[in-house]
Amino acid sequence: MKEITLDVLHDAATRLLFDMSDEEYQTLFEEFKILTKQMETIGRIQGLDELEPMTFPFDCGNSYLREDVAEEPLPREEALANAGSVQDNEIKLPKVVG
Amino acid sequence: MSILDLTISEIHQALVNKTTTPVELVKEALARAKANNDNAFEILIEEQAIKEAEALGEPEVDNPFWGIPFVLKDNFSTKGIETTASSNILNGYIPLFDATVYAKLKKKKAILIGKTTLDELAMGGTGTTGHKGTTFNPWDPKHERLVGGSSCGSAACVSAGIVPFAMGSDTGDSVRKPASYAGLVGFKPSWGRISRYGLFPFAPSLDHVAYFTRDVKDAALLLDVLAGRDLHDATSSLEPVERYEEDLSAPLKGKKIAVIDDIVQTISDQKIQLAFKRSCEELAKQGAIIEHIRFGEDLLQSIYATYIVISCSEATSNDANLDGIKFGPFYPGKTYQEVMFNARTKGFSELIKRRFVIGSFSLMSENQDILFRRAQKNRRKIVNRLNEILAKVDAIYVPAAPSVAPKIVSSSYKLSDEYLIADNHLALGNFGGLPSITLPLMLEDGLPVGVNLTGAAFEEKKLLSLAAGLERITGLANLSVLNKKEGNL
Repeated sequence: MKEITLDVLHDAATRLLFDMSDEEYQTLFEEFKILTKQMETIGRIQGLDELEPMTFPFDCGNSYLREDVAEEPLPREEALANAGSVQDNEIKLPKVVG
Repeated sequence: MSILDLTISEIHQALVNKTTTPVELVKEALARAKANNDNAFEILIEEQAIKEAEALGEPEVDNPFWGIPFVLKDNFSTKGIETTASSNILNGYIPLFDATVYAKLKKKKAILIGKTTLDELAMGGTGTTGHKGTTFNPWDPKHERLVGGSSCGSAACVSAGIVPFAMGSDTGDSVRKPASYAGLVGFKPSWGRISRYGLFPFAPSLDHVAYFTRDVKDAALLLDVLAGRDLHDATSSLEPVERYEEDLSAPLKGKKIAVIDDIVQTISDQKIQLAFKRSCEELAKQGAIIEHIRFGEDLLQSIYATYIVISCSEATSNDANLDGIKFGPFYPGKTYQEVMFNARTKGFSELIKRRFVIGSFSLMSENQDILFRRAQKNRRKIVNRLNEILAKVDAIYVPAAPSVAPKIVSSSYKLSDEYLIADNHLALGNFGGLPSITLPLMLEDGLPVGVNLTGAAFEEKKLLSLAAGLERITGLANLSVLNKKEGNL
């Protein structure tokens, strides 16, 4: 497991696109000390390598194709209603290129 | 006692007999909501609720939800009504569609009077982390105690007598633990039994729609309405829906109930131990067969870590869409990444950020196999053990929590067995997607504490029948702060 340092926590937060205060990083660092010990409880379980990871409680074989019926799309006004930055019927963001 | 203090089925009779009207009920519920100071509401929906009540015609004899006021946890989408999941990152967000759960209740002419507080984005178990602050336990007028979370506002509303039922969600124990602290029935049916369309996801492999009522019969009646396949939710089940209230009077004779001793033994509160033991003796007197078993202490100790790793990892990915661009408060920046960075830095509270970092750390390429995948493998091992037990018995029976509602300032030693096992074992039901119900066991110094029954997947009818039998033993059906009872244990 990657060693937990304040830099690693900063890196994780940056990847998640947010920042925290120095005090909050310190709290998280302390929390990880306990969490690491709690995670050791999984490390102690024998025979896990033979098991498949469980991604859902049980298989749900619900694959199907929806009937090919035309539906009304979301009206533009509604689609934009919750966006905080709108111009000319489009969401406006800073330039990406050039 | 007011008619509003009765159960749903009793209120229904009063409506059919015209002893009361939906308008009277809704107005009284709103008046109680306004007078309540437990910080249970994100928003009250006064005008719409009264209008809907006034528009109802003659009572529908075969529809127990006709004219019944209720509340939704504020992580269910409600078209045209602000829905924030108690997070600043969703302030001002007005959904464009109704959650299936709300649509079904609307169709039955139940009346939504408000949306309730939660731990931010449903990630928490204390009811203290929402953007409106702590939600208090109605059983403690001094406001020193938690009602628990994350469905804190919904729990407070039902136990304070504002409404007879409230919708919540349960990813680890977010309905069944507060139900214990609030003296309520808290029911989480099987994963897929109720559509999650319109429920804000936290950890989809663990998330369930769940709810609070004041007796088991109401829990069964509510499942009649909410269960079923929904084409909007690919994970909703094709299993046939039953009439869940049909077997509630069935005797307990011959029913096999497993008590997991290595959970019970971690509880230090002797009064809970004693009441639980008495309830087992009473169940046996009624002809139930109590089997004391051991689950495996190592596996039980690993529940919490397994839950945290899986839930935080899933949440990290799910909540990537909360970026302040499509919805939520917009914060300008020089690049689109900076726009998102500003929205997420200002919009999430510290606790949520910490959980996201735990998830991100578990998913880092260096850690993924030894943390995330190992937790998923351990989940399978735990669920295999659960299903092995449930193949031999009708239900698993354990205390729902190790104590009455804790004080807000209290803290527990996070590496003790009491914390790792007794405080977190309800997540077993989420790991396995199993139906699981909490109901009141006793009152300790005026504060309620509950027990929990968990059954095999999609055996809700059998589980509710057992819970009704247990409710007859405890004598604590329809408990609330306005309808206090002593109980039998």
